[in-house]
Amino acid sequence: MEPLLKVQGLSVNFSGLKALSDVTFDSFAGEVRAVIGPNGAGKTTLFNAISGYVPSTAGQIFFKGEPLHGLAPHDISVKGVRRTFQTGGLFPEMSALENVLAGLHVQIESGFFGIVLGLAEAREAEREGILRAKRLLDLMDLGAAAEQPVKDLSGGQQRMVEIVRTLATEPPLLLLDEPVVGLSPPMRDRMMDIIRRLAGEEGIGIMLIEHVIDLVMSGSDTIVVLSSGELIAEGTPEEVRQNREVLEAYLGHA
Amino acid sequence: MEKKNGNTSLITSNQLRWFYYLVPVAALIIPFVANEYLLWIVNAILVYTLVTVGFNIIIGNLGQLAFANTAFFGIGAYTSAILMVYGGVPYTLSILMSAIVGGLAGFLASVTALRGIRLYYLAIITLAFGELMRWVYLHGDDVTKGSDGLRIPDDIFFLGIPLDSEVPKFFVFLLLAVLLVKATSNLMRSRIGRAIVAIRENEATTASLGIHTARYIVLAFVWSGSVVGVAGAMFAVLTERVLPEAFGLTEVIIHFGMVLVGGTGSIVGSVIGAITLTTLPEYFRQFPGMDELFFGIIIVLVLLFLPKGIVSLLWRISPAFKERYYRD
Ligand SMILES: Nc1ncnc2c1ncn2[C@@H]1O[C@H](COP(=O)(O)OP(=O)(O)OP(=O)(O)O)[C@@H](O)[C@H]1O
Ligand SMILES: [Mg+2]
Repeated sequence: MEPLLKVQGLSVNFSGLKALSDVTFDSFAGEVRAVIGPNGAGKTTLFNAISGYVPSTAGQIFFKGEPLHGLAPHDISVKGVRRTFQTGGLFPEMSALENVLAGLHVQIESGFFGIVLGLAEAREAEREGILRAKRLLDLMDLGAAAEQPVKDLSGGQQRMVEIVRTLATEPPLLLLDEPVVGLSPPMRDRMMDIIRRLAGEEGIGIMLIEHVIDLVMSGSDTIVVLSSGELIAEGTPEEVRQNREVLEAYLGHA
Repeated sequence: MEKKNGNTSLITSNQLRWFYYLVPVAALIIPFVANEYLLWIVNAILVYTLVTVGFNIIIGNLGQLAFANTAFFGIGAYTSAILMVYGGVPYTLSILMSAIVGGLAGFLASVTALRGIRLYYLAIITLAFGELMRWVYLHGDDVTKGSDGLRIPDDIFFLGIPLDSEVPKFFVFLLLAVLLVKATSNLMRSRIGRAIVAIRENEATTASLGIHTARYIVLAFVWSGSVVGVAGAMFAVLTERVLPEAFGLTEVIIHFGMVLVGGTGSIVGSVIGAITLTTLPEYFRQFPGMDELFFGIIIVLVLLFLPKGIVSLLWRISPAFKERYYRD
């Protein structure tokens, strides 16, 4: 199978600090790929490099065969690689619905003049967007919270809204940075369920950063282990569980 | 129409929409009941409504501390005045030119914001830009007539209507204000308006949604500059003489005060701010020497007790008054 994402020899330096060094792996459609590693291992930096938020020092990134390195975050997003943020990704004063509508921005095809003049076409495009956003929120049981500013929602609801916002355009590749942190165990299971369904049924490629080992072992197809910016192991949950280096570098600390 | 999530308010957003449409219609009777002086105040309110609506896009929606709007206002006023005085350009066309030149000034101001100049740096640069423009008006003697100001011709027409008293000016200003407020409202409740507010809320994550943030920062400034440019063209005709003093730092404070007193990020708030800070100071003029004090007191009191502006009083009546960034 042709990989969705190819990361080749990726390095990121922050004024001397090697946040990532020579990281290489492929990621596939329909696969849940977990990225694990101790604090400061470079997990978020990996997502930042793929999504254009930090420049890479060396290496290449290809999405569906096209190079991503050097592109701006909004261009990478338009190509179909969308991400969530470890913290503070939402627009707090905007409602859940408005957050999701912002996520649909590139798919709502209303032009400047149509909008200013209130033309029927533009209004129709907006209406379709609103319907779609409401449907997505309903699907995640967020319908009742749609009109509230997201800053007034619970932590779990906020996480959900961010995922719905990111998913709204049905991107082929989704990068989720600690999507279940701060959720109650039942919410957590529900979220992992949704993630598995998105990969299994919709064929979306998902990369997720997660600290809870049990969830990673049960919820992912493949695991990438980072430690001090280096990829020290890659494989199925069983393979990684038996890897001595991983046990020492990471699981030993957990 | 769905009415879920416990919104048992007295007023629905649909009823409110009709109310908003009725306001300008009801205003049509003003010239029949008001004298010249009162009508002059109403006309000033219409001008300041556009100033505040335009300024609010930058302060409230985009969330940038850029104070170039008073300069846009002056640029719009001088553009129209110069075109009419020296070029004999019809007023209708000079309004359009004020919009274009105001938009260009907005574009110029957006470049500073785009280059990563933010917060106090952006504030001071845009204030300096305003002072620079004032220097140009003062020293561009041959064209601007310096501190004497530029007197606009007596025979100004708008589509054949002579603007020789407050009454015809009122109808023209009302038309312009309604058109631009409605257009701005359309803009702010669309994907464009959402992108602008998203940038205020979190510029970095906005880009992750495929939104070209730089494009919307420029758009916000250009639109703001155009709206305020038109307000300048109206102001030239309202005051009949364009003076450099009308666009100084005191005016920046007045315009900023209108945005804050009305309510940031709210079009209804902008209108309220323009009404409040046009009428009350006018009323206090009967206490010479004290009027500036009263002006300051109003701003302080409102911001102390209604930090979100007078518009937040309406939110207590009904949440439907809260402006949303989409239309249903
Ligand atoms: N923009 C930046 N500038 C400088 N240093 C950075 C930057 N971003 C990350 N770092 C550093 O790079 C290293 C890797 O950070 P990163 O955020 O990728 O870790 P992480 O694996 O996501 O950790 P955590 O589990 O705590 O989220 C850390 O030492 C961090 O301090
Ligand atoms: Mg991290």
